[in-house]
Amino acid sequence: MNKDSLSGLALIALAAVYYWATGAIADSTLGDEVGASGLPLVLAAALAAFGLMLLVRSLIEVRAARAKQSKEIAIDDDEEQDAKMPRAIGFLAFGAAYILILPYVGYLVGVALLIGSITLYEGAARRWTVPVAAIGGAVLYWAVFVKLLGVNQPAGTLFQGLFS
Amino acid sequence: MTTLWDIFHLLTGTPLVFVAIAGLTWGILGGALPGISASITMALVLPFTYTMDPAMAIALLACVYIGAEYGGSIPAILIRTPGTNSAAATVIDGYELNKQGRAGEALGISLMSGVVGSLFGLAMLMMLTEPLSWLALAFTPASYFGLGILGLSVIASMTGGSLVKGLAAAVIGLMISTVGTDPISGVTRFTFDVPDLLSGVDPVLVMVGLFALTELMSQSGSSNVTRLKSSVRITLPSWAMMNKLKRAQIIGCILGTFEGLTPGGGGSIAAFMSYNEAKRWSKTPEKFGKGSEEGVAAPETANNTVASTALIPLLSFGIPSSNSTAVLLGGLLMHGLLPGPRLFEQNPQVIDSLYVGSFIAIIAQIGVGIVILPACIWLVNRPRPYRAGFIFALILSGIYTLNGSLFDLGIALVLGLVGYLMRIARIPFLPMILGVVLGHMVESSYRRSLVLSGGDHMVFLQDPIAVGFLLASLAFVVFSLSRELREARKAKLQEAHS
Repeated sequence: MNKDSLSGLALIALAAVYYWATGAIADSTLGDEVGASGLPLVLAAALAAFGLMLLVRSLIEVRAARAKQSKEIAIDDDEEQDAKMPRAIGFLAFGAAYILILPYVGYLVGVALLIGSITLYEGAARRWTVPVAAIGGAVLYWAVFVKLLGVNQPAGTLFQGLFS
Repeated sequence: MTTLWDIFHLLTGTPLVFVAIAGLTWGILGGALPGISASITMALVLPFTYTMDPAMAIALLACVYIGAEYGGSIPAILIRTPGTNSAAATVIDGYELNKQGRAGEALGISLMSGVVGSLFGLAMLMMLTEPLSWLALAFTPASYFGLGILGLSVIASMTGGSLVKGLAAAVIGLMISTVGTDPISGVTRFTFDVPDLLSGVDPVLVMVGLFALTELMSQSGSSNVTRLKSSVRITLPSWAMMNKLKRAQIIGCILGTFEGLTPGGGGSIAAFMSYNEAKRWSKTPEKFGKGSEEGVAAPETANNTVASTALIPLLSFGIPSSNSTAVLLGGLLMHGLLPGPRLFEQNPQVIDSLYVGSFIAIIAQIGVGIVILPACIWLVNRPRPYRAGFIFALILSGIYTLNGSLFDLGIALVLGLVGYLMRIARIPFLPMILGVVLGHMVESSYRRSLVLSGGDHMVFLQDPIAVGFLLASLAFVVFSLSRELREARKAKLQEAHS
């Protein structure tokens, strides 16, 4: 099964979940002829149809490619991208960790930790420049967002009042 | 009647020059920060204008608006993150040029195209406010529906070689736009009892997730993209280049003028449509998506034209066509100024300051750009690990400013993952972005039209503006599909020959 087949299946699954969720949309006495669930139902059907078309087309292409015995094109690129996937998802995990710790450590400390950890994760040498850049970057962003623009970034329960 | 003496007095006897340049610089800074939209940038200075002379206050807000609309293109080109919604189309070729080490050239083109668009828009604002303003009043819900469909028709030419995948992406975008409160009945849809979802998913989150986070994830661990190798010099386009960009800029000016008059879409529809039309009329359409100079010029000219022409319905009738012009309306009302024909008669000094201040800001944009853009390029040329850390922190900080919600950060991360998977599956992003941006407008205007007509679908064929838009949409789709089929056939023939 190639990537287009998987994409087709994923689209069909997404359409099914979306269709199931439209069932939770309440009826309203203020509702119009189309209704709040009118467009979502059309979209669910359309996505399922496109998913099915993608699936069928990819299966036909796979069969044709097998017949021609010429499947080697672009496989190297895909494999390289697949190999990088865990690393890319790891990158996002730092973002998730940032969201989790932000209410506790606050913006200034959170951003410093985020910059420092991403810099190391991306392969920077473990030198003094990493913590300096992390702290400097955090102070810069704090000055711009909190002080200059007046955005209320989380102060954090651990250091409440210290950096607000 | 404004005389040259009045203008001379404005330039020498008032702080207008300082106000215009300060407003422009603040606007560029705000527009360049992801998550800080043009309207937020304007709203942040609104309290400071309270004690100012009304003429200076309105000029300041207008100059911030001009700066913010331009500023959105800077992160779009440098870090693949549109600073404003209307800069989303600039990402396509702007970032490609940056990847080729031509960031200075791309920023120069966007700067000069922005100046061209702003000057054209200002000329339209000064000359045609009265004759063009009727169009804003002629818009019915059916017209808005037609406009939304016209915007969506651009999808047909942005499918990246696979129509099915492009359409599927557009449907997913439309699905995202249905999250939140139903525009007609007020019931909640797909919110799963999460209060943060009641107001829907902000298009900025989708753009940041799909463009910026996906790019950071794709570059993660790559050894072959350690530096972007761009020169820090800003390269303003030569006369020959400006001549080459002429067609794209004319398209941007025309569509930007039209879009500015039509409330609802901001500069996004104008930018995407200009990109699409510039590609259609270009001598080198094959370069689009791979680093085309015209692909940067057209959307930048369009969204900067909109920044001026959007003031036409505002000044004539008090109709704000976007969040930014709504803030400007707030500024006018705060100083006791009522928009409309009497504003021109009773407060000519306000109008003069607005026009002259905008003109100064547009011209000053070149100088301010030349000073600050090299620093921006230098920043994104830092070693990749440091750059990734700083950009990621900037993006997450910017997203939080939208609603002060950690939940928004989570949505952006999920969309980053979705974008990464879409990239692997070679599903194009742009149709999805258009779906998110236009979904609410299309659905609400469609249903409002039916409510007003008692469920009669003929309402869409009885409104001449709607009919015009729908016919134009049909023509776009047919042309784009025939081009795609032609190209596919050509590729097949070439494959057969080889």
